[in-house]
Amino acid sequence: MLYPEIVIAGCGNPLFADDGFGPAVVEELQKLTLPDNVAIIDAGLGGPHFIFTLLNPEVTKRLVIIDIADFGAEPGSIAKFRVEDLPPGSYRDAHSWDLTEPLQRIKDLIDITVIGCQPGRVTDPEMEIGLSDEVSHAIPGTVRFVLETIGVDYGTTIQCLQEDTQPGAGAETCSSPGKS
Amino acid sequence: MSKVVEISPTTRHEGHSKLVLKVNDAGIIETGNWCSITPVRGVEKLAVGKTPEQVPKIASRVCGICPIAHTLAATEAMEASIKCEVPKDAKLLRYILQLANRLHSIALHDILILPDFYLPGTETKINPFTAEEPVRTVAKRIQRIREIGQTIGQISGGECIHPSNTRVGGMYRNCSEQAKTKMYDLAKEGLVLAKAQMDLMIAILRNYQAREFVDVGGMKVALPKTLGYHNQGYLATHAFYGSSSLDECPSFDPARFKEVRPWDWYMGEMDVSLEEPRYPVGGTTKVGTKVNPQMEACTGIPMYDGQPVEVGPRARLVVHKNYDEKGTVGQNIAREMEYVDSFYEMLDCIDELNPNGKVLADCVPQGDGSLGWAANEAPRGTDVHFARVKNWKVQYFSMLVPTTWNFATCSAALTGAPWQLAEVIMRGYDPCVSCATHMIVIDEDNRLVAQKLIQ
Repeated sequence: MLYPEIVIAGCGNPLFADDGFGPAVVEELQKLTLPDNVAIIDAGLGGPHFIFTLLNPEVTKRLVIIDIADFGAEPGSIAKFRVEDLPPGSYRDAHSWDLTEPLQRIKDLIDITVIGCQPGRVTDPEMEIGLSDEVSHAIPGTVRFVLETIGVDYGTTIQCLQEDTQPGAGAETCSSPGKS
Repeated sequence: MSKVVEISPTTRHEGHSKLVLKVNDAGIIETGNWCSITPVRGVEKLAVGKTPEQVPKIASRVCGICPIAHTLAATEAMEASIKCEVPKDAKLLRYILQLANRLHSIALHDILILPDFYLPGTETKINPFTAEEPVRTVAKRIQRIREIGQTIGQISGGECIHPSNTRVGGMYRNCSEQAKTKMYDLAKEGLVLAKAQMDLMIAILRNYQAREFVDVGGMKVALPKTLGYHNQGYLATHAFYGSSSLDECPSFDPARFKEVRPWDWYMGEMDVSLEEPRYPVGGTTKVGTKVNPQMEACTGIPMYDGQPVEVGPRARLVVHKNYDEKGTVGQNIAREMEYVDSFYEMLDCIDELNPNGKVLADCVPQGDGSLGWAANEAPRGTDVHFARVKNWKVQYFSMLVPTTWNFATCSAALTGAPWQLAEVIMRGYDPCVSCATHMIVIDEDNRLVAQKLIQ
């Protein structure tokens, strides 16, 4: 099958500043060695066409979507949503004949978690590459949250990400200056 | 007296577009304007100063449907500018990726157009999502073909949406012997499914063509035998893949291409004077609404040899395989015929691929600022990218994407059809509007007159 048991999809367009948050988190996740039953996908703008309408509920049991979401918090804040929480039009597949949202079709068959980051700046329709500092700083915490969500114990990395430090910085032999 | 009806937004395609139609008393279109209302984005400006490796990645982000075509066209435009020939096995991997993308796209288009047509022998319009047979089996087959296309694309391109394996000078990695076998097995499975799907779709399309009347939102509409006919030309650079300025005999000539302003081509400000609440989905625009296609259109009008041309599956078959059926049905049948052709071509490419062959050019030049172009035959038609690279920096980049070609051609094809069938004609072009939006406009004297953002 194209997609395995657990699918992590980073959605958004890096050409519109903070809208590139999902693909940026995916880029970090791809540096980790995860179990074979996990697929990490840079969905870009193609989530509805290439992933959500192609998942086989007999194989895929869990879908984690990483995207930006405006929930009125400080830029860089992270929140977890259910499909029911999403406003109409989120992940609408223009290719669907009645504009039914593909996530609504699969939500009862696949466990879906949407992790949203409050953006600071989205430049659509003008193009600008690069995340704002606040959103960029949210990436390590999001990686940790994704790993927790899918139940992967990544050992020291999770520990380090929790402290927002580099791997190894908190180890006994290599403590980071300024941290006790 | 003519009336004006507007269908906005149009549905069952990617991006935002609308139809503004001037119709006679019988509801027949006298003048039709199909235009993009997706704002212009200006990727060309963003590319300047970036490296040739970065720009294809930027280009692939302008659209959620066509990242593969844009990645390949942009990469090859860079290679054309720096004059870098890629090894044969890299080229084969790109061919396979391209064909995989096309197969997925044809299957997706089947889902889009099926609700316009009837189950042969019945008066039932097709709902591709119904759980009832025989449609359920067809829907499963379409999904499997999409899955096969995406899986082969993932193997050859590294990732199935934004391919990560392509690079300027070739590919990062060749595939393994096992991966080659897997692609071959998938392609063989897909060929059988595609043959069955093509036969079914052609039967459905011929059934539609033979009808005298069709139902649109409860309205009984006479079906003209010339639905979607136009007398514009065709442009296709290759039956499957494309062409670039590196070719000995390139099949696209930039000197024959010109782009003009939409405000010279589309209708001016008018009031909507015909409204039909029964039209699916949600009715047409209300009477009295002001429309102004000249100012609302977000694309230029590209011309080849001085006129708009059709690009896409029928153009490829007309130019390279002597296909001659006009109209919307002919266009959809051409797309179905590409199913089987693409699988056969893919099997040949996989057969020829040497997994131990090199996939990166020995030398990747830094570029001297020469203009290079690459035309990629994307599922929807010819996707031409232009580039100048000097000292490994992009000095100039431009994208001329498939649906931009088709806006004016499809507008011409609307004339003479009942307005209720305008979307059926439009969907024959499998439009992808979101990336069909740039505004580099050249006037009659080949001067750049406008490069601006709208909205």
